[in-house]
Amino acid sequence: MRRIGVFVCHCGINIAQNVDVEALTKYASHLNGVVVSKNYKYMCSDVGANLIKDAIKEHKLDGVVVASCSPRMHEHTFRQVVTDGGVNPYRLEIVNIREHCSWAHNDRQKATEKAKSLIRSGVAKAKLLEPLQSSTIKVNPDAMVIGAGIAGIQASLDLANEGFKVYLIEKEPSIGGRMSQLDKTFPTLDCSSCILTPKMMEVANHPNITLHTYSEVSGIEGSIGNYTVKIKKKPRYVDLSKCTGCSDCATACRLKGRIPNEFDMGMGKRGAAYMPFPQAVPLKALIDDKTCLFLTRGKCGDKPACAEACQQKAINFEQKEETIDLKVGAIIIATGYDPLNTEKLYEYGYALSPDVITTLELERLISSSGPTKGEILRPSDQQKPKSITFILCVGSRDETQCTWCCRIGCMSALKHVYLLREKLGEDVEINICYTDIRSYGKGYEEFYRKIRGHKANMFRGRPSEVRNMGAYQKVDIFDTTTNKLFEIKTDLIVLVPELVPRPDAADFARLMHLTQSGDGFFLEAHPKLRPMDTFVNGIFIAGCCQGPKDIQDTVSQASGAASRAACILSKKELQIDPLIASVDEEVCTGCGLCVEVCPYEARILNEKTKIAEVNGALCMGCGACIVACPSNASIHKNFTKKQLLNMIDDIM
Amino acid sequence: MKKYALYPGCVIPTEQYAYELSIREILPLLDIKLVDLKGFSCCGEPMKSVNQMLTISLSARNIAIAEAENLDVFAPCPMCHLAMSECKRILDSDEKTKERINSFLADENLKYTGKSKILSILDILYDDEGLKKISGLVKKPLKDVKIAVHYGCHLIRPSEIGRPDNSENPQKIEQILKAIGAKPASYPEKLDCCGGLLTTNLPETALTKTGQKLQAVQQQGFDAFVDVCPWCHRQYDSKQTKAGETVATKLEVPVFYLTQLIGLAFGVKKEKLGLEFNLSPVDKLKID
Amino acid sequence: MSIVDLTSMSESQTAIKNEINQRLSKLKDEVSDYCYQCAKCTSGCEAHKLLELEPHKIIALLKRGLIDEMTNSEVIWTCMSCFKCRERCPQKVAPVEVLFALKNMAVASGKQIPGNYTAMLQSILTMGLIQDVKSVTTNDNKTKNRTELGLPEISKPIDLAKFQMVLSKLAVEKI
Repeated sequence: MRRIGVFVCHCGINIAQNVDVEALTKYASHLNGVVVSKNYKYMCSDVGANLIKDAIKEHKLDGVVVASCSPRMHEHTFRQVVTDGGVNPYRLEIVNIREHCSWAHNDRQKATEKAKSLIRSGVAKAKLLEPLQSSTIKVNPDAMVIGAGIAGIQASLDLANEGFKVYLIEKEPSIGGRMSQLDKTFPTLDCSSCILTPKMMEVANHPNITLHTYSEVSGIEGSIGNYTVKIKKKPRYVDLSKCTGCSDCATACRLKGRIPNEFDMGMGKRGAAYMPFPQAVPLKALIDDKTCLFLTRGKCGDKPACAEACQQKAINFEQKEETIDLKVGAIIIATGYDPLNTEKLYEYGYALSPDVITTLELERLISSSGPTKGEILRPSDQQKPKSITFILCVGSRDETQCTWCCRIGCMSALKHVYLLREKLGEDVEINICYTDIRSYGKGYEEFYRKIRGHKANMFRGRPSEVRNMGAYQKVDIFDTTTNKLFEIKTDLIVLVPELVPRPDAADFARLMHLTQSGDGFFLEAHPKLRPMDTFVNGIFIAGCCQGPKDIQDTVSQASGAASRAACILSKKELQIDPLIASVDEEVCTGCGLCVEVCPYEARILNEKTKIAEVNGALCMGCGACIVACPSNASIHKNFTKKQLLNMIDDIM
Repeated sequence: MKKYALYPGCVIPTEQYAYELSIREILPLLDIKLVDLKGFSCCGEPMKSVNQMLTISLSARNIAIAEAENLDVFAPCPMCHLAMSECKRILDSDEKTKERINSFLADENLKYTGKSKILSILDILYDDEGLKKISGLVKKPLKDVKIAVHYGCHLIRPSEIGRPDNSENPQKIEQILKAIGAKPASYPEKLDCCGGLLTTNLPETALTKTGQKLQAVQQQGFDAFVDVCPWCHRQYDSKQTKAGETVATKLEVPVFYLTQLIGLAFGVKKEKLGLEFNLSPVDKLKID
Repeated sequence: MSIVDLTSMSESQTAIKNEINQRLSKLKDEVSDYCYQCAKCTSGCEAHKLLELEPHKIIALLKRGLIDEMTNSEVIWTCMSCFKCRERCPQKVAPVEVLFALKNMAVASGKQIPGNYTAMLQSILTMGLIQDVKSVTTNDNKTKNRTELGLPEISKPIDLAKFQMVLSKLAVEKI
């Protein structure tokens, strides 16, 4: 390979200001093997691309060096340009003279000298680059969506309507997620169930969607285009083919009304045999094996009451956990969020009085399908409250708890004010203690205007504590708008808590090889340009599992993730990046060290040949096996020892 | 037998004798020896508003005196305990400041090294061994006496630097009281300040803070009020009548040091626990 | 250009503000700049109801560099050092520590120290403690002293002269 072209980019003034690009171009032209050397202001533009392509043609180049910004920015672009020009895309070497040079140093002369060394080594490598070919893998066109809240439901419907087969996995006994717990949504005040249940029905009836409820992901193997996911189906102890959802078992259960109901956030009670909620999909019963008398003690009266009551004989205590393997090409994760456990802020008295509740708990009181059938009653004495006080930002924007803003707290509190006024009329005093009202979305400010106009007493400040006085709760709040301290005696305190990742987020991330951001939510590949991608090819995230957001952003993201997944699923084949590890079969001793160190499980030791093999689809080219191999049998394509040593030699 | 250097501070040895008497009485019963060292001075905390450098240096010199005898420091006054803990935190994490302070201490041939621990009354009384030992020594349990516990401020805050009990829901004193048969109960004003430090420049306001809290405690029908700090006790006990005047209420709340109640439960005579110095109506509580 | 507070006609004392922030960092406290004025500190301030101390306002004035307004006022001496503001602040700002810094500055610049502080300081110089031994009256009107109670002698600095020398050196030191 002796005909190298060097192309130096000014990057506007990003490079040119600190590095003498003309001098670099001249210097490069004299290097051994370089037949042409040019520079241009924006090499990544059309003009720059044509410059390279024309030079390839004119000078019959067989290798290209581009001295520019980080390869993470435009390596992909330049590979395409080089391919269009007729050169193998892997005979391209990017030399980073921006992040590694012009942006890091102040001395123009020294920076230029450094850039020269970098280019020199880049040319040395380019001379040894091999014309690699990408391989292809077949793509399984089926998809999996994990989590069936509104995000998972939307993503599943989008993919199913595009013609893909979707497996929808949900941990709870019913789909619907947090949105099914809401009464109305802001700012339109749509009835949450009314807009959600049609979608839930669509999911249930869609020929392309296979629903697995009360199921969890327990293992994953494979790579983009070819994942095998293990699903653990938890036993309901109810035969789904026989259950009609009549809920006779729930009515008959001996523990009826004794166990805090998860759907009602503990505000209501259920039995061990129960229906998830009235609009559940699937509308089938289940038995909680942690509390059921028969399952935990082996005895429930003379005979289990549920089995007696069930006319379809659908109760089956013999049911066992089932594990199935599902093969899919792409996965969307939409596992949602939890509200912060407000006991952590002890000073707000959540643990000290039942009259201190959270917004989701209030939502269940407001909901007509909730424990009080939509009547607003104080938990302590079941009386109508005469005064309700909201405290916003509980645990949010807090360096001692969670540093981020929950995004939806302000709007949901305002929404609650509206709904409470509707239910309780003018009789009730409603106070809001806020730090900032964040009403940023479409229609949000209009909604805020309506509320602040005359519906609530707004106090701009944050209470230091809530005191339980027994018959009422007492809150002192300094209002910075009037510079006065107010003492509020109130019947019901509603805490607007932070939204946090689910408690098993870390374990799930480990299982799926996902990265978590500092706040514990799943990390997107790029916050602006790739908000649904993750760093694992073929796995996408949508909804609150990526970070707190409202329903419209969740739905947007879910549709986006479906589109991203479809990019993969719609192809018959995918190209595999050839810049991965490979095995020199003559040297490999079969010690297996590379298999142990690989974080992507991309290597196996062939039992018969006793030689290591690389799964090209899984290998991310991290280099761990190269380092681990004691025999130098592990080789990183186009990052070989010889290439790298040559680069170092030339720098020296 | 555990040995500690007793660091009494200023208020206890010059005025709040009851605390010193009851500590010296009950700690030996728990197999603890208190060593009296010479050369102590004020811990400096009351001077923090004037010159914090003075505070850190004074605390450092007192710790250095204990370190010279290879003893950990037991500071029964929570204000002293905070001053010394804060001093230790700063000097242990900042070499330069430590050297600077030591350059001053050198004039008295003292050197702060950081090897001594600083313990509070709760650290001493409460640890698993402590509770079992305490209940084991009870001869006259405080039969169902309904007690309001006052932790004070400096004992439990700021939690960031590490304090002997939780700042929002401290329970150690309650557990000790339960171990001696009493019935501690919570009340909304539990974490309110006594106002003690304000006595220096705004004594009337300090008494109002004191009176307000006692008034609430009295209204809720408590049999007794217990504290662990001489500044707090001076407000609630020694100045109870005056405090009552500021809130226009006749206050009649028996106020005890925790160590006095423990002593009574152990069967120790009243005289030995300094109960003659309690100016609040402690006789209302029938313990014999 | 300039920013002038029209009430006091004073400009920002940036150098002193930075000094205070540096002192806070040195003592491993969070600097005041992160405060977003939620006023949780003032809502729970033990000194607010009776003495009108507003910790959040102290921080706001510090951020603007209006230091003299505070060191000249009496309100900074109303803090009870209960530490609730530091405990509950969601940004880990410590108004109580800022107040200590302001008080130290007021003293160092020669302002009169209110109340008994001077007497306590004097007492420390004279005998090591903030107050001398008191004759305490019991609840049945007897007076007792330490010896009568069988308590050991009070611990005082051994070499008072050396102790006083150390103190006088420290008097001019800043954090």
